Amino acid sequence: MKNTYFRCLAALSIMFVGTQLVLAEHASDPELIAKGAKLYSENCGRCHNPRPASDYSKKEWSVVMPHMREKAHMTGKESLAVEAFIASTLTADVRNDRLSSSDPKETKSGETLIKQFGCQGCHTVGGVGGTLGPALDNVVAKKGREFVLKKLKDPKFDNAASAMPQFPMSDADVNALIEYMEKL
Amino acid sequence: MKIIPFGGVVASALLISLPSPVLSEEANTLDIGRFAIAGYGDVSYIDQDELNSNVTSRFVPIFLFQLSEKIHIEAELEFSIDENGETEVEMEYADLHYFLNDNTTITAGKFLLPFGQFGPNLHPSWINKLPSGPALYGHGGNGLMTPLMPVLSDSGINVRNSFNVGSGKLFTDFYYVSGPREEEEEHGEEAEEVEEDGHGAIPEVELEFASGDNNSDKAFGGRVAYAFLPSLEVGYSFYNGAYDHDSTLDFNATAIDFNWIGTYTTIRGEMINTSIDELHEDGDIEAFDRNGWYLQGSWQMRQLGQQALNPVELVARYSEITKAAEGERWTIGVNYWLESSAVLKIAYEDTELEDGDNDNRLFIQLAFGF
Repeated sequence: MKNTYFRCLAALSIMFVGTQLVLAEHASDPELIAKGAKLYSENCGRCHNPRPASDYSKKEWSVVMPHMREKAHMTGKESLAVEAFIASTLTADVRNDRLSSSDPKETKSGETLIKQFGCQGCHTVGGVGGTLGPALDNVVAKKGREFVLKKLKDPKFDNAASAMPQFPMSDADVNALIEYMEKL
Repeated sequence: MKIIPFGGVVASALLISLPSPVLSEEANTLDIGRFAIAGYGDVSYIDQDELNSNVTSRFVPIFLFQLSEKIHIEAELEFSIDENGETEVEMEYADLHYFLNDNTTITAGKFLLPFGQFGPNLHPSWINKLPSGPALYGHGGNGLMTPLMPVLSDSGINVRNSFNVGSGKLFTDFYYVSGPREEEEEHGEEAEEVEEDGHGAIPEVELEFASGDNNSDKAFGGRVAYAFLPSLEVGYSFYNGAYDHDSTLDFNATAIDFNWIGTYTTIRGEMINTSIDELHEDGDIEAFDRNGWYLQGSWQMRQLGQQALNPVELVARYSEITKAAEGERWTIGVNYWLESSAVLKIAYEDTELEDGDNDNRLFIQLAFGF
């Protein structure tokens, strides 16, 4: 009987620790955002076309995500990571309809931007990454610089159903990304 | 003696809930909303053999409330127009999720039953890649075929778990709901025809939710699934409940499902076996078995790299039901995606029943999620 009681307490204690870990993570953590991008690709696309982040505001997403946590069988940590990824692609609590062209305060490398925006959540780079979207290796040579430029600025220009988010990137960010992808 | 461990569980559960108010303040660094509306809808044109063509429309809002980080409430209402032009309203589900911890959620209320994949996840018209459902399910009209699982939702409690195991995820759902009930109506036309064929009539079991139950037994069911991320999910579901007033006759169902997702292709399928206890006049109880399966594939033409074809998707599905109301159905369709959650579907469906009846349907449907 004591063993049964101990096992119950032990199991629930593990749950207790799990609860603390979920709530301790911070939404602006770049690693969390990258993890969220991967989870977005793996979970949302299992049943339906993934919805672009701009479909809802940040506040709406924070209410929609617990609903999707249940539908997609995500853990609490995973749900927070997806939410962090979605929030990272929106500039404000409004629809992100246009590309920011303001000068960046700091110039980031393409490699850094690939990680920052979680591109490998949906695309493979060097054979590593998600399969929701096409591989980025050789994509500039295959599709052309102009195509990639247009795609980054307006992901839906060639396909209205594209789930690719419109990231808040400056012109310098776009150029840095293309230069990086040209070398892949 | 069972009181001691149960007391431990209750005490520990209370312990779990204590730190949440403090820690939730830290997690609130995100913009936390309280209310959102999502949902879907569709407009469908259906042209069926020997029937007038028809246009139907539905609007299905989902109301989402976030009471706290641990409690989430959701309700889905379906608005449609009936044959007389009157507005019909149906509550598909209304439930409360309590997020016990990172892995476990307790759901109470009327919820979509986690049985197979189509019912809980794939039936909304903007997600379902064809305008009709697989013949195994009755949701949204099923033509001549008699479905195996006409149920989508029921009222009770569900405990859901998700665990990362290896490179994939293990999901479990176990639920306890009001369950099936004996239909009060006379046998329908389809059932009588089956009886004349000598196969025996399909016992009339109603699985849709109603307030109250016709017996004291509740139904128990669940689904255990593993996702080999990112491409494949396989699951096993079961359901058992007494359906008569005396709780002596059972309805049992099991299902195996899979869902494979590629960059441009999806392949989905389910196989369902059902067994309904039937009471003969001499007092003997005999199990009446039915089973069936479906397989569906889709391919996005954007793989061809032709910009004009990027929004086009081809879909095909084969459904088959064996024993009593046996039949097979082919459905082929072309989808044109206007947005990632808005699609124009054109599909043709050919149903052949073993007794010689057949049914051809043409669908044109505009479906949207919002």
